[in-house]
Amino acid sequence: MPREFEITYNAENIYDDWVHDAHWQFLIIPVENESQYEVEFEFENSLYAHTEESINGYGFKTLRIHPKKKFKKITFEAKFKFKKEEVDPYNFNINPDISTAYNELQSLDFKITHERYLRFTSYTTLDSAQQQLFKFNTSISIFDNLEALNHWIFEYIKFTTGVTEVGTLLKDVISKKKGVCQDFAHLFSALARINGVPTRYVSGYLDQESGYMGDSQMHAWTEAFVPEIGWKGFDPTNNILANTNHIKVCHGKDYNDCSPLKGIIHSHGKHKTAHSVTVESHQ
Amino acid sequence: MFIAFYHVPFNKRKYMTNIENQIFSSYQRNPDLYDEIYDKNGKIKEVYQKLFNLYGEHSIIDYVSLNNKAKSSFFNQGITFQVYGDNNVQEKIFPFDLFPRIIAPVEWDIIERGSIQRSKALNLFLWDIYHDKKILKDKVVPIDLITSSANYLDQMNGVNPPGGIYNHISGTDVIKHNDGKYYVLEDNIRCPSGVSYVICNRTALKKALFGVFNHYQTHTVTNYAENLLELLESAKPKGVDIPNVVVITPGMYNSAFYEHSYLAKTMGVELVEGRDLFVENDFVYMKTIKGPERVDVIYRRIDDQFIDPLEFNPDSVLGVPGLFAAYKKGNVTLANAPGTGVADDKAVYTYMPQIIKYYLDEEPILNNVHTYHCSRPDELKYVLEHIHELVIKPVDEAGGYGISIGNKLTKAEIEKVKAEVKASPRKYVAQPIMSLSVHPTYIDDTESFEQRHVDLRTFTVLGKDKEFVLKGGLTRVALKRGNLIVNSSQGGGSKDTWVLKK
Repeated sequence: MPREFEITYNAENIYDDWVHDAHWQFLIIPVENESQYEVEFEFENSLYAHTEESINGYGFKTLRIHPKKKFKKITFEAKFKFKKEEVDPYNFNINPDISTAYNELQSLDFKITHERYLRFTSYTTLDSAQQQLFKFNTSISIFDNLEALNHWIFEYIKFTTGVTEVGTLLKDVISKKKGVCQDFAHLFSALARINGVPTRYVSGYLDQESGYMGDSQMHAWTEAFVPEIGWKGFDPTNNILANTNHIKVCHGKDYNDCSPLKGIIHSHGKHKTAHSVTVESHQ
Repeated sequence: MFIAFYHVPFNKRKYMTNIENQIFSSYQRNPDLYDEIYDKNGKIKEVYQKLFNLYGEHSIIDYVSLNNKAKSSFFNQGITFQVYGDNNVQEKIFPFDLFPRIIAPVEWDIIERGSIQRSKALNLFLWDIYHDKKILKDKVVPIDLITSSANYLDQMNGVNPPGGIYNHISGTDVIKHNDGKYYVLEDNIRCPSGVSYVICNRTALKKALFGVFNHYQTHTVTNYAENLLELLESAKPKGVDIPNVVVITPGMYNSAFYEHSYLAKTMGVELVEGRDLFVENDFVYMKTIKGPERVDVIYRRIDDQFIDPLEFNPDSVLGVPGLFAAYKKGNVTLANAPGTGVADDKAVYTYMPQIIKYYLDEEPILNNVHTYHCSRPDELKYVLEHIHELVIKPVDEAGGYGISIGNKLTKAEIEKVKAEVKASPRKYVAQPIMSLSVHPTYIDDTESFEQRHVDLRTFTVLGKDKEFVLKGGLTRVALKRGNLIVNSSQGGGSKDTWVLKK
């Protein structure tokens, strides 16, 4: 039996001065895939500006707003309803001959196919000392190494809000050993890529009923491509594999490709932004 | 206001000598350089003979007065550009002299076929690296060349531009080396500029010297705009009957603004800035006094990173929010296509012979200059040891910025360049110093003709079923004695370029 989910996303932007021209693009709709389907949504804003649906450069659905009148405050509310199958992240078999998977990581075709997710971006670059932080043990499978990495990051970084911000790079995360889900996901991505495993940053929602960590905003985790198995989701913030409670919106090389809200605002003065997310599910 | 030579009130007979022509009487030839008008033995080449006779009947004073008039016409028409990096930014005219460069049909044939060959090969290369990436899998081009390029756009993966064309407009920089062969220095396939100067140079020359121009059968250059418009219209999105074409410019402070306005005017289409356009439901519209008007094809003179702040650089105020989504959906055509810049990376240039062979199974018609990749340790070692005899170029800068010419550097400068190359080897390539051919050029300071290095930028327009090379191109002149960099932004000048019909 699939679970039925309901997610509410709220955002509020308040400006000191009148804003005459603004564009917003939201990347917040749960993606349809083999486990998430029948996605329905409502999207409203306090200015009653028309909402356009579009698709971004990476193929994910976006919502765009371009108000036609000036304003100082705008609020957005999105409600999503969809069904999700129970996900068993361990539903696969590992080939006992682990060397074939390692050999595949080394092949040129593999590197070309997964080039985008092996590349080091500003968010996933580590210096040579940091690259040594987690070395794969090639006597165990790639999947087992990734699980060990997941656990290692969970122990290494202490989940703490307010220490890092969206622009924080890994060198600061590593020196502070503190951060939020975005930082955990970037560190996982970077260390897996160093070891030759393609990884993609995932932006989405987490059903926090079972006491998972995250804040009451959007969540982030990482998918790694394991040869002979495929893409598997790892949530180092919670030391678990992505499961039914992880609702995916999109993926990319890093946060930059997945930013939930982009705004082009022509305004002077200060502004305040607030977001909140609630996730409910029932059988 | 323009005076043809035969109206000049000088008694030409009085100035004629029986051996040397007045106008070139003080022209000094350096025998080590390849002179475009004199052969090795000091004889005038055949294509220049008639011109030489016609000009030679006159004194340098006649020439100066005509040249000044032509120059003032450039100012009056606002044919100017700006040089960046100066503290006081100022509008300058592109220095121009009335002594044209002449290219014989047999030579032009090589240049034209070579330019088309390169444009086609680059287009196939772009399709491949944004689709199956066969050339990488076949190890003809190394993967990191693409993936470490700032101009490779992930968002273009799997996108099929209309007609399969990426580089609708290419500018190929060709030189003649002292071995008499043509070499390509650069393929410019982002937003190559300069074509407006080609046409303006011709107009100015014809006005001033119709009596001379008339003696030659020269191909026209004024058909560029109509060919460009025909191409842009043929690249229209599916389902559009008569496409609405616009030219988008970063604005009047851009160094090539004159050209943007010139091309829009001569094609008879609107010149717009980002703020004149908007996107609604993935269609692009232009704001007009009669309300929104749909736009189908955009000749964009804005770099990739600035075309859409929602998709690329969020700080860009030049672009149009939502433009890329409209493009990807196939509702608007951008020329050149986004992501094209990855193929005019100077590191990709070095693989052009292999790229041509791979896609077209042909030998390159135009030569490539041998290039050392500083990213390869053994080549880096060679470069560091031989900087004094090499040109060091950053791989991703256009307009002649950041180039160091080894034999012109002081010891301290060599050390500085070495340190920069060592710090980021992937950023640099090096080439032997090519000896660009020289052409007699009128020099204001000495009021006489002197040898100056020249190159030629050709303009190729590539469509699905047709291609067009402007029969002329921009001959750029390095005005400083001995200088090899010909870009206008580096203080270069230009000449009208005559491609002869026979």
